Amino acid sequence: MNMVLLILSIILIATFGLSNLIYILISATTTYFAARAKKHKKLAFIGTIILNVGILVFFKFVTYNNFFNLIDSKNILVPLGISYYTFQVLAYLIDVYKGKIKAVTNFKDYLLFVFYFPYLIIGPINRYSDLSKTLYKKKKLEKDNILNGLVRITWGLFKKYVIAARIGLIVTTITSNLDYQGAYVLLALLLYSFELYADFSGGIDIVLGFSKMLGIILPENFDRPYLSRNLKEFWRRWHISLSSWFRDYIYIPLGGSKCGNFRKKINVIITFIVSGLWHGINYFFWGLFHGIIVAFQNKPNDNCKTLKIILNFILVSLLWIFFIYPNSITAFKMLITIFYKFNYLELFTNILNLGLDIPNLIVLIITLIILVISDIKNEKIKNILYNNKDEVKLIFICSMILIVLLLGVYGLGFNTSDFIYSKF
Amino acid sequence: MKKFNIILIIICFLILFIFLNKLVAPKYQTDLVEGHMISEYYKEEKNHEVIFIGDCEVYANFSPMVMYQDYGITSYVRGTSQQLIWQSYGILKETLKYEIPKVVVLNVNSLRYSEPVSEAYNHLTLDKMKWSKEKLDIIKASMLEEESIFDYIFPIVRYHSRFSKLTKEDINNMFTDNNVTYNGYLMNKNIKGVTTLPTKKKLATYTFKDNVVSYLDKIKDLCKENNIKLVLIKAPSVYPYWYDEYNNQIIEYANKYDLDFYNLLEKADEIGIDYSHDTYDGGLHLNLYGAEKLSTYFGDILKNNYDLTDFRLDDNVSSIYNQKLYMYNRDKGDE
Repeated sequence: MNMVLLILSIILIATFGLSNLIYILISATTTYFAARAKKHKKLAFIGTIILNVGILVFFKFVTYNNFFNLIDSKNILVPLGISYYTFQVLAYLIDVYKGKIKAVTNFKDYLLFVFYFPYLIIGPINRYSDLSKTLYKKKKLEKDNILNGLVRITWGLFKKYVIAARIGLIVTTITSNLDYQGAYVLLALLLYSFELYADFSGGIDIVLGFSKMLGIILPENFDRPYLSRNLKEFWRRWHISLSSWFRDYIYIPLGGSKCGNFRKKINVIITFIVSGLWHGINYFFWGLFHGIIVAFQNKPNDNCKTLKIILNFILVSLLWIFFIYPNSITAFKMLITIFYKFNYLELFTNILNLGLDIPNLIVLIITLIILVISDIKNEKIKNILYNNKDEVKLIFICSMILIVLLLGVYGLGFNTSDFIYSKF
Repeated sequence: MKKFNIILIIICFLILFIFLNKLVAPKYQTDLVEGHMISEYYKEEKNHEVIFIGDCEVYANFSPMVMYQDYGITSYVRGTSQQLIWQSYGILKETLKYEIPKVVVLNVNSLRYSEPVSEAYNHLTLDKMKWSKEKLDIIKASMLEEESIFDYIFPIVRYHSRFSKLTKEDINNMFTDNNVTYNGYLMNKNIKGVTTLPTKKKLATYTFKDNVVSYLDKIKDLCKENNIKLVLIKAPSVYPYWYDEYNNQIIEYANKYDLDFYNLLEKADEIGIDYSHDTYDGGLHLNLYGAEKLSTYFGDILKNNYDLTDFRLDDNVSSIYNQKLYMYNRDKGDE
C-alpha cells in the first residue's frame, strides 16, 4: 500500500510537470544522504541546508517575485509545493543533526515522507516524528476512517467553494478597481479574513480528510484563529505548522526568549520579517507589523474576552491589506482611505454592484454565520459529527455534496480551483 | 450502520441530486428557445421523407408545414444554433436510428467552421439531446478547451449558478415541456429588413479544412449506405457573407460525388424574397413571410426531383398534419 501511495504521488507530481519531480527528488536525496552522513557531518549538513534554501530562494525571489529582474522569469515555473517540502526536509535534517530523531534508513520510506502528495498543494508542513507514526503503518481501508475523512473533505469543499469563492467575487471586484476606497476597502478586508480562512482551512480539511481515509494523521493547521484575544495567541492558532516551524527553526536558533527581554523582542520581529519575506517581498511590512505587535504583547487574559476577540479580528483583517493589493505602496494608500473616507452610505447603496446579487448575498451571510458558529461550537459539533451514528455522518456527507454542487462558485467563468495559499 | 438506512440515505441523495439537476437546467421554453428544438423530434411520429440538418439557416428558413400544405411532403428540420458539421453528422446518425428518410438536406454554411466556436451554442444543441453514443461523440468533438464533460453530463455542474435566477418556468417545466417549433421550424414574424449588405472581408484561406470535409464525406457515405439522397443547399441568408470560393468547392464536391447542390441565395429573386421585408434581423434569417416563400419554392424542387409521397392522401398522416397545420396557422395569425 505504501509503495502504491508513493508511486501514485510520483505520478501526480509528474502530471504537474516533470521538472517538479526533479526538484523534489533533489531535496529528498540530498537531505536523506546528509542526514545519514558519517564523515564530514557538519559540512554535509550546512551544504545541504544551503543547497535547499538556495533553490527555495531562487524560485521564490528570483523567479516568482522577479526580485532583482535578473532573469526573464516568465518561462520558469515554481516547483509544486517547493516551500512545503523544503521546510519539511529541512526540519527533518536539523532534527537529525541535533539528535532529536534518528535518520531514516530506508530510502523508499523517506521518499514517501517527502513525496506524499496531498500536503504539497497547501500544507501542512509535517514533522517526521509525527507523520512517521501513521504514514508507514500497514494501511487498510476502515469504514470509520473513510466516513470521518469524507466528513472532513466535504466540509472543506463547502468552506472553499461555497464561502471562500463567493467572498472572492466581492473582494476581487473591490481590489481590482482602486476607485473603491474607504468603506469598500474595509469591507474587502473584513471579508478577505473569512475568505482566506475558509479557503486555506478548507484546503487543509481536504488534505487531512483524504489522509484520514488512508489512516494517516496529519497535524492540525488551524485552531479557530479568529477567536484569539490578541495577535500572540492568533499565531499559535493560525497556520500552526508554519508558525511552529518558524519558531523551532528561526526564532529558537536566534536565541528565542532565553537572551534578555530586548533581544527576545528583536528575535520575534526578525522571525516575523522572515515569515513575511517567505510570503514574498511585498509582505515585508505585513511581517514587520505582526512582529512588532506580537513582540510587545503578553499572554492574553479573559477580561472583556469578546471585545478583545473583535478588536483582534479587526487588527488581523487590517493587516491582510498586503495580501489583497499588488504592492506595499498601494496597500498603504488604500489602508489610509479607511480612516478618512467615510463612504459607508454609498457602500450600502452600491452593495449589489460588487459581484453578488441578493440570493447570493443571503447565501453568503448564512454560510458565514455557519462558519462562525462552527468555530465557536467547535467541540460540540465535532462530537455530534464524529461520535454519532454512521447514518448521521452519511447524511452530512450527502448534504454537503449537494450544497457544494448547487451553491458552490466553480466551473466555467470562475477561476476558483486554486487555493490562495498554494501560490506561497 | 444498518444496510437499510444506507440504502435509504443514498436513494434520498440520488432523488435530490436528480431533482436539483432538473431544477437548474435551462428549460428553453420562453428564453433561448433554440435550446429546446433538438428534443422535440423525439416526440414526433417518425414518418418523414425529408430531413433537414444544419444551422439556424435551416430552422429559421424552412417551414415543413408549408411543404406539407402545398405538396404533401412530410419533413422535419433537425437544425440547431450554429450546428457544426460534426454535430450535423451526429444528429443525422441519431435520426437514422429512428427512421430512414428518402432525402437529407444539408445546409453547407457550417463548412466554414473547422473548430468549436461557442460553448453557449454547444449547449443549445446538446442540452436537450437524448443520451446516445452520437451525443457523446458530438460532445467530444465540440467541447472547447475550458469545458468539462461533466458540464454536459450533469446540468448542475454547468448551471448551478442559475439557482439565484430561477423563475416559475423552472418549476413548472421541470418534467413537462411545450413545443416551440413546428416540425423543427422556429417561427418568427418580426420584420427587420436588410439595410446594409455584408462586406467581402479577405480571409487567410478559403479552402474548407480537412476535418470539415471528412465529416461531409461521412454524411455522404452514411446517406449512401442507407440509400438516402443527399441534397446540399445554401440557404438564402445574406449574412454571413458566402464566398464564391466556398461555393465553387461545394459545386466541385457535388459534381465529384453526383450530389445535387442548390445555392438558394442566388435564387432569391426567383423565390420572390424581398429582403426589405422578409427577414427578422437584417438578413441573417428569414422571417415567417420569407420562410414560407422559400418553403414553397424548395418544396417544388423536392416534389419534382425526389419521388416523394403526397401524404395529404394518407388518412393517418393527414389527420396528424392537419392538427399541426391548425396550430401553425393559428400561431401565424391566420385562424
